[in-house]
Amino acid sequence: MRSSFLSLSLAVCLLISVSAWGNTTESIGIIKSVSGNVFLTNTSSSIKAAANMRLTQGDSIRTGANSNAGLILEDDTVVSLGSNSELSIVQFLFDPAAERLAFCIRLFQGTFSFISGQIAKLAPDQVKIETPDATLGVRGTKFLVKID
Amino acid sequence: MVFNPYCRLPRNIHEKCRLSALLFFFVLNLALAGCAKQTTVVLLPDPSGKVGKVNVASDGGSIDITHARETTIVKDRQSAPSTPEIISDAAIMRDFSEALNILPQQPVHFILYFFRDSNRLTDASEKIIPEILAAAEKRGSKNISVIGHTDTAGNPVYNMRLSMKRAQFIADTLTQKGINAVDIKTTSHGENNPLIQTKDNVHEPKNRRVEVVVR
Repeated sequence: MRSSFLSLSLAVCLLISVSAWGNTTESIGIIKSVSGNVFLTNTSSSIKAAANMRLTQGDSIRTGANSNAGLILEDDTVVSLGSNSELSIVQFLFDPAAERLAFCIRLFQGTFSFISGQIAKLAPDQVKIETPDATLGVRGTKFLVKID
Repeated sequence: MVFNPYCRLPRNIHEKCRLSALLFFFVLNLALAGCAKQTTVVLLPDPSGKVGKVNVASDGGSIDITHARETTIVKDRQSAPSTPEIISDAAIMRDFSEALNILPQQPVHFILYFFRDSNRLTDASEKIIPEILAAAEKRGSKNISVIGHTDTAGNPVYNMRLSMKRAQFIADTLTQKGINAVDIKTTSHGENNPLIQTKDNVHEPKNRRVEVVVR
């Protein structure tokens, strides 16, 4: 039961991200701070990340050894990555006037801290954070995740 | 008869293939074992001191953590999340000091109000300009959004232009006071995104506004 629910939420997350591909170039946030070797990867390229670069839906961020990064998303969510960490912003929609809200971030490895933003307040059920073993649902707060 | 892709090959090559196939599965197993990562989740109070809730769900079960420094561990997708436990600040700092040290502050929002059908700021809002500059300075912000709005009085096309004028006025003011113009992104929503919902053609002071977000 739980398993089918999880696969369903994963499938929904994927489906919506596919249907949202139309506006993948829209800025959904920025890299606020970078220390050491941090890489920003999208569908076509991977570049060394620097502060104030813009993020778009589908981007991945990866930090190397002794490297870390802080991100600010359009809905005021803040996220950071410790060393040897990787995440991917699968889906991010923040258009409260049109009630288009969605938030799906996948964490692959490493350490992370989060303060959730307006999407978690306005539509908490739309916020999904996926790790290799679990799916996190967030009700407006600060939290930490480690994957090792 | 079962098709054997190796049966036409000389025996020694056949052996090599079998070995490499074995090796392949060995490496694959290692890789899969390497993928079996566990997830640890820790809840903290938000900057205002409020403690929210995180639900942690795997194929094995689901649990809520609801207290400050409460943590749960999911060993693998089939396992249920462990019974929540409160951990020490020292334990948190051991694993998360790097991530916590670089976590950005949340953006600050300011709302500036205008006189009717004008891009002149109210006196109270005039006083907010220095606060915006101070916030930008403190955060070393290179990303400031300026978003113009109007109330629903008058026609939508006119209001789109008015909201753009208001946003541009604030952007210019900030630029004159030392903010780099390339760090400001100006947008305008006309009457489409009111703070207070009204019928059409309603004068509403709270809707005649520019929102500034300093990131």
